[in-house]
Amino acid sequence: MKKTTKLITGFGLLAVATGIFVAADHIDAPSSMGTTADIADYFAFEPSLDSDNTVFIVDLQSNVVDGLAYGTFDEDVLTEINIDVDGDLIEDMVIQAIPRDGRMYFFGPVAPDQTGLNSQVLVNTPLGDVGISGETAITETTTDGVSLFAGPRQDPFFFDFFRFNEVLAPTTMDNSGFNVPGEDTFDGANTMSIAIELPNSLIGETTATNVIGVQVYKTWVTTNRKQ
Amino acid sequence: MKLYNIKYVFFSLALTLMVASCNNDDDQQMVDMATCDDGIMNGDETGVDCGGSCTPCETMSMDPDFSGTYAQVDHMGRPGINTVLGADDDTKDSHNVSIPSEQEVTFQEGYEARLEALHDAYAVALGADPADINYEPNILSDILGFDVTAEILTTVLSKDVLEVAPNAQTVYFDGNVPIGFTGRKLEDDVIDVSLILLFGGRDGARFNGEGGLPQLVTDGVGLTADNITTTFPYIGAPE
Repeated sequence: MKKTTKLITGFGLLAVATGIFVAADHIDAPSSMGTTADIADYFAFEPSLDSDNTVFIVDLQSNVVDGLAYGTFDEDVLTEINIDVDGDLIEDMVIQAIPRDGRMYFFGPVAPDQTGLNSQVLVNTPLGDVGISGETAITETTTDGVSLFAGPRQDPFFFDFFRFNEVLAPTTMDNSGFNVPGEDTFDGANTMSIAIELPNSLIGETTATNVIGVQVYKTWVTTNRKQ
Repeated sequence: MKLYNIKYVFFSLALTLMVASCNNDDDQQMVDMATCDDGIMNGDETGVDCGGSCTPCETMSMDPDFSGTYAQVDHMGRPGINTVLGADDDTKDSHNVSIPSEQEVTFQEGYEARLEALHDAYAVALGADPADINYEPNILSDILGFDVTAEILTTVLSKDVLEVAPNAQTVYFDGNVPIGFTGRKLEDDVIDVSLILLFGGRDGARFNGEGGLPQLVTDGVGLTADNITTTFPYIGAPE
């Protein structure tokens, strides 16, 4: 266990009890923080220059402080990557992931039966499944060229979380802002990661653009608990 | 599921044929004739040569059960939005059960007030009049050709989605290259980018810790994850 983790061990319950919240999305709000459905972080990128694939990585849960749910994917939690391809901020395609008995099952990408806050598993469009990894990554590649992964990983996020909380509430005695260098609170932390790399052709063309006019998928991730 | 259904149909059919071929007088005889190794389900068997007076049937393998309705409990697009700009617990909770098409209406005003409140807090801490220290249009203003006001910035940020370009290099934001907002890589310093856009002013270095001003454009830390890979799944093995 690394130094940082030790330093914050005693701080964990305090953080939870006093409602101090951590970026990027780790333990970000009272209702979801510390649960098995807590989204820690989300990434979407081109895996290499000029690649025709896109990678989505969703991190759930965190062991950055003590007292948080960490280490097991919850079978009652459906993770959904939402993709808007026409700029109206309503999902046109979704990719779903949900664990069952040691495997992570993926569905889509497909237009969902319904948009918004409630979802069903899109069982008619299975994408593939992969055994949930331990320390060593197990990956699967489908015949469509989709790569799948689920398991514990090193949390790559970095942020001086302690100082941030002090910076948010400056006083006349302490008004210097961040320290340079600071200290990465997330050094030594792990997270439960779901990764998928897929050909863009499976998602399709997009007419949505970003602020500088580049064509983009507008994406977001949700976790959804079985009712 | 399909395999199971086909088997079930077959069993039903076999049962129907058997019943059809037997009249009442023959029933007892047929049970007696049934054996546990004749390759059909007969007698008191509950499967082919199993169950009833034969050995128990193995549990039939079925697809997992994915039934039910799943209701949203958490949401994330860009990193840090809910954390930094959500002013209170209720806002943070409601953000997680919101949908992007409704987020601007619900959250923009509060985010703008929060951005100004953070500036005011530093004004007070520095002994200045809060009216004199406000958000100033950020580094994007020159790139976009218009002043990115607090309202414009928080309008963009309130719609909490992560944009990723299918046909362009992934750059979260870098003032030195002519592309950005095309995705987020594992190693991107998203906190410093957020700080620069919120507190950096037009040159990105407004509150840079010099001249008696606080350091608000970097948290002073860089990537510490040491095992990100260039091949799938990219994110490194656990510590």
